[in-house]
Amino acid sequence: MTSAELRAEVEDFLYREARFADEFLLEEWEALLTDDFHYWVPAGRLEGDPSKQLAYLNDNRARVATRIRQLQTGKRLSQLPNSPMRRVISNIEIESTDDEEALVKANFVIYELAAQSSGELRVWPGQAQYRLERVEGNLRMSAKWIELVTAHAGQRNLTFLI
Amino acid sequence: MKVDYRELVHTDRVHGSLLHDPEIFADEMERIFVQGWVFVGHESEVKNDGDWVKRQLGNESVIMVRAENGEVNVLANRCSHRGTALCWEHKGNTAFFQCTYHNWRFGLDGGLRAVPFPDGYSKPKEDLGLDRAGQIASYRGFVFVNLDGSAGWIDEHLGPAGYELIDRLCEMSPSGTIDLSKGWIGHRVQSNWKLWPESDSDGYHVGFVHASMSASTDTYYDDVAVGADAVKSSRAVDYGRGHLELDWRPSYKKELSWLGVTRERVKEYYSALAQRVGNDLAEQMLWDGPPHAFLFPNLFLGETVIAIVEPVAPGEMIHHHTSVQFDGADEAFNERLLRQTEAAVGPASFITTDDAITAERIQAGVSGTDTSWSSTSRGWIDLSRGLHREEIDEDGVRSSDASDETTNRGFWYRYLDAMTGKGRH
Ligand code: FES
Ligand SMILES: [Fe+2]
Repeated sequence: MTSAELRAEVEDFLYREARFADEFLLEEWEALLTDDFHYWVPAGRLEGDPSKQLAYLNDNRARVATRIRQLQTGKRLSQLPNSPMRRVISNIEIESTDDEEALVKANFVIYELAAQSSGELRVWPGQAQYRLERVEGNLRMSAKWIELVTAHAGQRNLTFLI
Repeated sequence: MKVDYRELVHTDRVHGSLLHDPEIFADEMERIFVQGWVFVGHESEVKNDGDWVKRQLGNESVIMVRAENGEVNVLANRCSHRGTALCWEHKGNTAFFQCTYHNWRFGLDGGLRAVPFPDGYSKPKEDLGLDRAGQIASYRGFVFVNLDGSAGWIDEHLGPAGYELIDRLCEMSPSGTIDLSKGWIGHRVQSNWKLWPESDSDGYHVGFVHASMSASTDTYYDDVAVGADAVKSSRAVDYGRGHLELDWRPSYKKELSWLGVTRERVKEYYSALAQRVGNDLAEQMLWDGPPHAFLFPNLFLGETVIAIVEPVAPGEMIHHHTSVQFDGADEAFNERLLRQTEAAVGPASFITTDDAITAERIQAGVSGTDTSWSSTSRGWIDLSRGLHREEIDEDGVRSSDASDETTNRGFWYRYLDAMTGKGRH
């Protein structure tokens, strides 16, 4: 596979993953994950051992399943109704790669409307780091790590898929 | 206009304006956060000489620092020359604080050490140190301050219950000491700060606000706070002085329910604990778990989580939390506490996110209430649940079913005392 082909495939994946998250297509989003998926939003930089730190979010595969189940109960107050939201992804860098695994960095900005309470428009800027693996021919996500620009500053409710 | 708090706080109801009026907020910052005792931090956050952390106490920014003599000082984060804030990071280590405006340099005790071109001053240096907390007290590492020094002594503030609740938590550590140095995570909420003492100690809402948690995961809250049996067996307790507990102990159906594991999984912790306190006590602790309690005005002992309530504005606050770590427990056990904390509390958690949204909805609801206080028929918040069946023991401790508003009322009794100066010296 040429690097241009791989880049096109990675970009397709990232945009699809972003749209599933924005639109609360939870099953579709979950289907993009490998069995050992790790989801991490630290309260600082993406460095050090996640297991030794206290993070905003640090989900292994089982916990991310719980997160999705909770959203699917129809009783998740902080997402009733779901936040209208859209994210923009750019500055995509594919760091090291063979055809089986790609480490990808991208900048993002999410615009989220707190439709459940104050109606505030919330802006979430940061960098996402993805580890993508090829499973039976298709790309899957085995890690998504998020470094928020506001990581040290505390956060509003973060109950959507970031 | 001077607010008459007796008109706004009654035994069975409080007025909605208490949650959004700017004049009331300003009074609170002075009477509760300057004139009263507040929690500022834990000694484990400043282990070494020169370690400091920055904290916001109401309107005041302060620095908690360990000085060369090992003592913990709480200093105003404000240069005594022309008021420039000294610290911008959240924490650090330093031999002195130096202002960036005219380079005045202060020691870790707040004393002025050096000024450039000193011949311009005839005042003695001793008069130009940083403002220091008027009173400071530390108990098992929990540091409390009274900024203006006018509150009574700390024993009067904490009372026997305050000490007992802190003891109950710390005693569960194999070493008897806890560590709170994993960092504080801020949850920014568009609500009044007083909705958090309420939420953190409210036993009525759990089955409703947190229904999505019960429906998606196995949670011990089902045993202690959801459903008619649970809210009867657990207790809402008002110890007086604004110190409150939701006592889950009578409701736990198995040991270690509060940690969601069997003893097999935490063998090392258990044997380390039993070594210090003996098997009988250790067994009991495994059943009882750490307390779920609120100490007036800003400290939440949330089982394996500690939280600080920080007011920002009438409709804006930050709920900061960290994970309790037991000194002397094995690494795997303490990591379990970190993971439990991440699941339960904070902006992306499964539980307090729904409390946050509830607080924001309350804020939206009460923000329209009258602040001219001309009408007593509108804008009240009812807190009468369980008044007729509340029990009072010989020490004045009130308790009732966990779903009763005994804890909520307890907060407001203490609040009224603070706002009217009752019990002050
Ligand atoms: S304001 Fe700090 S040295 Fe002048
Ligand atoms: Fe709650």
